[in-house]
Amino acid sequence: MSSLSVPAAAAGASATRQARLGPDTARAIPFGRLCRVELRKQLDTRAGAWLLGIIALVNVGLIALLLFTAEPAGLTWSELTSAATLGQMFLLPLIGIMAATSEWSQRTALTTFALEPRRIRVNLAKVVAAASLGLAVMVVALAAGAVSNIVGVVWRDGDGSWTMDWPVLTGMILALLLLVAQGVAFGLAFLSTPVAIVAYLLLPTVWSVLTLFVDSLREPAEWLDINLTLLPLMAGEMTTSGWAQLAVSIAVWVGLPLAFGLWRTARRDIS
Amino acid sequence: MGLMITAEHLTKRYGSRTVVDDISFTAHPGRVTGFLGPNGAGKSTTMRLVCALSTATAGECLVLGRPFQELVNPGRHVGVLLDASAQHAGRTGHETLALSARVMGLPRRHVQQVLDRVGLSRQEADARTRTYSLGMRQRLGLAHALLGDPDVLILDEPANGLDPAGIRWMRGLVRDFADAGGTVLLSSHLLLEVEAVADDLVIIGAGRILAQGPAAELLATGGTRVHSLDDGALTLALIEAGHDARRDPEGLSTTASTEDVGRLALKAAVVLTDLQPAPRAGLEELFFTTTAQHGREEIPA
Repeated sequence: MSSLSVPAAAAGASATRQARLGPDTARAIPFGRLCRVELRKQLDTRAGAWLLGIIALVNVGLIALLLFTAEPAGLTWSELTSAATLGQMFLLPLIGIMAATSEWSQRTALTTFALEPRRIRVNLAKVVAAASLGLAVMVVALAAGAVSNIVGVVWRDGDGSWTMDWPVLTGMILALLLLVAQGVAFGLAFLSTPVAIVAYLLLPTVWSVLTLFVDSLREPAEWLDINLTLLPLMAGEMTTSGWAQLAVSIAVWVGLPLAFGLWRTARRDIS
Repeated sequence: MGLMITAEHLTKRYGSRTVVDDISFTAHPGRVTGFLGPNGAGKSTTMRLVCALSTATAGECLVLGRPFQELVNPGRHVGVLLDASAQHAGRTGHETLALSARVMGLPRRHVQQVLDRVGLSRQEADARTRTYSLGMRQRLGLAHALLGDPDVLILDEPANGLDPAGIRWMRGLVRDFADAGGTVLLSSHLLLEVEAVADDLVIIGAGRILAQGPAAELLATGGTRVHSLDDGALTLALIEAGHDARRDPEGLSTTASTEDVGRLALKAAVVLTDLQPAPRAGLEELFFTTTAQHGREEIPA
């Protein structure tokens, strides 16, 4: 048999391949590259493109509504930018959810994890990618706010103030990043798009409603209700106890499902 | 050296159900190893264990001398096609490959090269995979497996959904890959498919290995047909040497190999007029006899 000549031939083939494709065979896949690929995966599907389109549409609609109906004194960069953030607050976490679940519902996990078997690394790249997308969308919202501010000045004789309420803005950005991370975490924990979306939308709300009716839950809710703890953050009114309460609620609603999801996907048999 | 796939005592249990039961085999470089068994025999599960997509209950598997999960940038070493239907329906074929090319750190133009190689047109590649036929998915899956220019190919039912011309093309591709020194492990429940391309065979049923070895050896189970100027003396010589031999009007059949018959004839000074391996029913017979009691009712041939 040609068992002697075969490795030689393979080595030769390997050398020509290195020349052709670059000497990357011995280097681990850099995390940054995984993040960029995961970001692209969140946008290159029909569902991803649609969601982003709807976010843009909602924001444009809200800006238009403000331009048409608000008092001219209320037409400032800060106000218009806030209007342009609502769409992503509600819908961008869904892209995070789908980034996690589609690997399993579309069964692409079979190829994704054959290319990078370190699954936790891939899933963390999903979180980073979804957060980057959130940041990018916020930059666009700032730009849209600026453009509509000029429109407001020209068309409605608006206030046109360029003073940005930075505590509010940074609070909004942080809140968006946390919600997007929560989306990925819920996606990883449930691994089913409809279940994860319903759970993401419903569970925190059910909890909020419960606290309205059950007195004994009101005190823990201040620490455990993400809808409550995010409010001061987005209003730019954080206090020391506010940060502590936010941290606790994030640990419960983001940290816990993320840890469970990472653990679950790392050991799950892919079929 | 080390360009092979070795499985040692691989076992996979789901609860009390054993899907893969103590499977050991080696797929060698330069050879096509055919993984043959009826549906549900554990072929796909074994291949997932090999690729670390599933965790073995016991045993281990090495690809290129390492567990799959320890391979660095595995796509550059091992081309994997486990299920051609497992593509994101909302993504185009080209985009599917472009994503993986980026993960592996390959130049962009390489995507077009593999698309050309598997015969997917630009128009087909730009369509979302939900519109693909099974044959097109299979071609896309093969393109994906070839993308990183690997040393090893692991293909689960690669002929599924391909038309006869496509199957022939796929066989040629696999053959060329092995002839260039690559290692190929491919599975099929189609006997003729494996018989046409495999150098080595691993036959499994109900999660267990039923037979394995070089295809030529496994197939040469029919013994020898021989005709000589003195069949009587030759029959006697064969039986004395411990072989079964039976005379019939056209000559005699024996369980001895052609080489053994030749040697015995020389010793007995009998002139052979015809010597050939017994016509065999092929792999099909072997397949049915070894998997009959293990397989499901329908065994497509």
